[in-house]
Amino acid sequence: MRLPIWSGVATLAVSLTLYPLFEGGAWLWGSLGAVLAVTVAGVVSSRLTLPGWAAPVLGLVALGVYLTAVYTGEKAWALLVPTKESAGALLDLLATGFADIQRFAAPVPDDPPIAMLTTAGVGLIAIVVDLFVTRLRRAALAGLPLLALFTVPAAVLPDPIGWPAFILGALGFTSLLIADGRERVGHWGRAVLVRRSRAAESGNQETADTRGLRLSGKRIGFTAIALAVVLPALLPTLEPDPLFGFGVGGSGKGKGGTISVPDPVANLRGRLQLPENTAVLSYTSSDDAPRYLRIYALDVFDGERWTMTKMKGRPENRVDQGPLPPPPGLAPSTKTSRVETDIQISDDVDPLEFLPLPYPPQLVRAEGDWRADVDSLMVFSSGDLASGLQYQVVSTEPEPTADQLDASSERPEIDPRYVQLPELPTRIRELATEIAADSPTKYEAAVKLQQFFTRTGGFTYSLETQGHNTEALTDFLIQSRTGYCEQFASAMAVLARSIGIPARVAIGYTGGTKIESRWEVRTHDSHAWPELYFEGVGWLAFEPTPAGSAGQGTARVPDYSLPRPAETTPSTDDPSTSPTTGSDTPSGAPNSRDRLRELDPEGVYSGPITPVETTPLWVTIGLGVAALLVLLLIPAMVRLVIRNRRVRALTWKISGPSDEVTARAEKVDRSVAAAWAELDDVLCDYGMARAPSETPRALARRLTQQHEFDAEAAGSITAIASAVERLLFARDPGSITPLKRELRIVRRALAATASRGRRIRATLLPPSTLLRMRGMGERVLDGFDRLENIRLWSRAARKNA
Amino acid sequence: MAVTHDVSPQLDELVSTAHRIRQAIESVIEGKSDAVRLTLTVLLSEGHLLIEDVPGVGKTMLAKALARSIDCPVRRVQFTPDLLPSDITGVSAYNQQTREFEFKPGPIFANIVVGDEINRASPKTQSALLECMEEHQVTVDGVTYELDSPFMVIATQNPIEMEGTYPLPEAQRDRFTARVAMGYPEPAAELEMLDVHGGTSPLDKLQPVATTAEVRALIEAVRGVYVSQPVKKYAIDLVTATRHSPDLRLGASPRSTLQLVRAARAHAALSGRDYVIPDDMQELAIPVLAHRLLPSIEAQGQRRMPEQVVTELVRRVPVPETRAS
Repeated sequence: MRLPIWSGVATLAVSLTLYPLFEGGAWLWGSLGAVLAVTVAGVVSSRLTLPGWAAPVLGLVALGVYLTAVYTGEKAWALLVPTKESAGALLDLLATGFADIQRFAAPVPDDPPIAMLTTAGVGLIAIVVDLFVTRLRRAALAGLPLLALFTVPAAVLPDPIGWPAFILGALGFTSLLIADGRERVGHWGRAVLVRRSRAAESGNQETADTRGLRLSGKRIGFTAIALAVVLPALLPTLEPDPLFGFGVGGSGKGKGGTISVPDPVANLRGRLQLPENTAVLSYTSSDDAPRYLRIYALDVFDGERWTMTKMKGRPENRVDQGPLPPPPGLAPSTKTSRVETDIQISDDVDPLEFLPLPYPPQLVRAEGDWRADVDSLMVFSSGDLASGLQYQVVSTEPEPTADQLDASSERPEIDPRYVQLPELPTRIRELATEIAADSPTKYEAAVKLQQFFTRTGGFTYSLETQGHNTEALTDFLIQSRTGYCEQFASAMAVLARSIGIPARVAIGYTGGTKIESRWEVRTHDSHAWPELYFEGVGWLAFEPTPAGSAGQGTARVPDYSLPRPAETTPSTDDPSTSPTTGSDTPSGAPNSRDRLRELDPEGVYSGPITPVETTPLWVTIGLGVAALLVLLLIPAMVRLVIRNRRVRALTWKISGPSDEVTARAEKVDRSVAAAWAELDDVLCDYGMARAPSETPRALARRLTQQHEFDAEAAGSITAIASAVERLLFARDPGSITPLKRELRIVRRALAATASRGRRIRATLLPPSTLLRMRGMGERVLDGFDRLENIRLWSRAARKNA
Repeated sequence: MAVTHDVSPQLDELVSTAHRIRQAIESVIEGKSDAVRLTLTVLLSEGHLLIEDVPGVGKTMLAKALARSIDCPVRRVQFTPDLLPSDITGVSAYNQQTREFEFKPGPIFANIVVGDEINRASPKTQSALLECMEEHQVTVDGVTYELDSPFMVIATQNPIEMEGTYPLPEAQRDRFTARVAMGYPEPAAELEMLDVHGGTSPLDKLQPVATTAEVRALIEAVRGVYVSQPVKKYAIDLVTATRHSPDLRLGASPRSTLQLVRAARAHAALSGRDYVIPDDMQELAIPVLAHRLLPSIEAQGQRRMPEQVVTELVRRVPVPETRAS
């Protein structure tokens, strides 16, 4: 009876972890309903003791009816019974949902197709869980479908699942296990594991008494969950440490985690297709010219998609530590122009851990721990987000002459990964060679390639294309010739690589549009473009994507990439900028081959992006130890506070004749009680605790005999005992004087009998306080017990039924 | 010393009188001060005492010594299998001179009745004692005769394993406030006994040290000893614990609670205190409770005597910590 219900609860608890995937809450209500429907079906199957195979069938029927009623009710017969039409509508919705999920990056909009898809998924999981738990009685196996559900947000989201969500899910599964264990043990007979004898007395003997087991089960479960949450946070790993907030880590809603690189390509189309075109950032530049702002540089093409190698962000590459590494490949002789750009990111952009920057940035002034990747000059952070950030950047744009470009070496000195390609259809290589056939230099070949996309190839711009793997690429290049910036960029990069030009795909924003005095960049300005490498000049951006209204609106073709004879075309840069050579640019400093920072010696470093900590290890360990010590000292501090409060209560002042007798008696009462409690705690601390049945008198006798107290100490303990005794039991306690001195004497006498280790322990880790804390813990658990014992109907009523 | 406490003169007198009686008894019984003290406690709490032990350890001597040291009528009944109830309560005999039935009071009409080897009498005779002990009155031929105060039955018995005995029924055991075991004397005490008592019976030399009126006053004083609510509650806790102990088949009766509190009062008074503390109860728990309890089969199997069970319960039941207001 209980198991189907607990299965439903567990499924629902785990499905709650899906919340960051959606923008709205409709999916949750849908899923709740689906789980309820399945659970009701499960309960009914249990009630009717249907055969095991019937339950999932019934569950599926229930789920089907539920989905029909909720999503295609108007087409169904009497809102409930599925008809051909409604089933068709349902399938349509399903297909749309699939397509939508492919299309959007998380968090996805919560429209009916997606909500329906989610609901159906959660409902199916609920059926499987019910099958495992109730029918096959393998509750532990139910963890697998639940885990499957759990991995969805874990796999899709860049951020780790928040710990409250994890706890909720884990609690759901644990309760399921406990319920199953209880049901199982319930058939064994009476259990003897009871925590309190009182609990045993009131037991209902009808079924086995599993309270004790339940309790231990709960305790083990809670402990396991607590450990699972706390332990990873405490362990010193390569991962950032979220508890103490050292170094990197923390993004989005929950703190903690590595820098995640969302699939930039997938995000790109999502952003371009967003119905509303919101502002992302605005900037001003010293020459007032629009400029592409690059966020990512993707340098690896694996046949499926473009990704980036792991970035290396060492502490000394922090942007506030001086100029960034020199742009790779830029020779000192190449003319550059220095541009200063002031960028303001709007507050409500999605969490972004990279800074959009004009290439190549040389100086970045931004608040926070921003680090530059040495190879690509991407600037990223693992602790800070770009939203709302205002920062300044100085970039040194190369202004190569045609000669310099032509002179670019045939064999560039650059990491071979920039020319690496996966297995490609020969047609693509042939196409590349064909386009570049009569180009004398690599540069000209590159210009030809761009021309192929913009003019000669007959390409059209459309967002309605999908995929970026080799097949899609082949389709784009050979057959359809229809796509948007991403396909253009990636296709050009692939073609360039196939004729030996190092290339990579940059993703970011176009220069945007000028509104009043600032350039404004909106979501629809998201863009991808290829960057090609020429020795002596470095990386140059190309623009194969069609611009204008029939293409990427604000795309702009760089001058140097236009075919000759445009080679003498003056720079579009405003003459007011200070064209300088690298050698006399103090900040740009591209001349500094000699100042080249030491790169990662291994050069093959791979693994999660882990910027090396600025905090030395010993400081981290020290802080950890200190925190631990502080935690450990809590009982001692609590003990001190309690003792001080009691010592204050020990003495009382009679404020005069106006002090009433009752008030005085109350003070005496409190004082003696304080002395007694303090004595109790002292005894507990020294490991000679008073048994609950030990009377004051017996205690005094025992201590005096056991520890051979001298007359003074013996007198003091007797005085305390007598005062307590009279106050508690006598008709008239008589006159009692403050017991402060006596208590001190007794404490000293007791301390003298205890070993040094005992005394230290009594001060640092007083057992009395530990016991008290344990008592508090017990009460919390008792609270849980009571929660569990709340019943909607009484046992008796159920028995009668 | 932070504590000063004044004892009422009445209590002072009680303590000194009790002390005299104790000394008198102890001049006869060597080295058994606990048993003597308990005997006095029972006397002052208006109860009856059961002395149980093997023959020859001074059971009868104790009973007689107590009786002797108080200047009051004392009767001694030797219980035998052929003893009849009327031999205890008395009979109505026909007086030929007055031509009327005349009540001849039995040995029960005394302040202190020593019933020797009570378990040798038949159950019928034993039960004749019931009414007298509980209600302090005797009914013969429809006429009720009140017994004098103080009235105390001191019964001695041999442990039931001995031959030719009838175990006391539970109902009757419940009427005794306390049971005391004499135990063998210490070697030193035994030696002294040989030296001192070798020639003459020490009982003969014993002079009464208190009068009936004095004892009555003492009893009155004991009645006035204060028992606070927490201590009463503690008594109930103790007794309740015997009813719930898995080692016991039969727990202690409500009457035993009453007697425990009464005995604790006497105990406190004997210690010169005019209020009862849990210590009094703890000390009296075994003599007052143990003889009323029946061990469960399991406990019997493990040879766990009710005394042990009671000791354990006393160790487990927490003493009152706060003042109930």
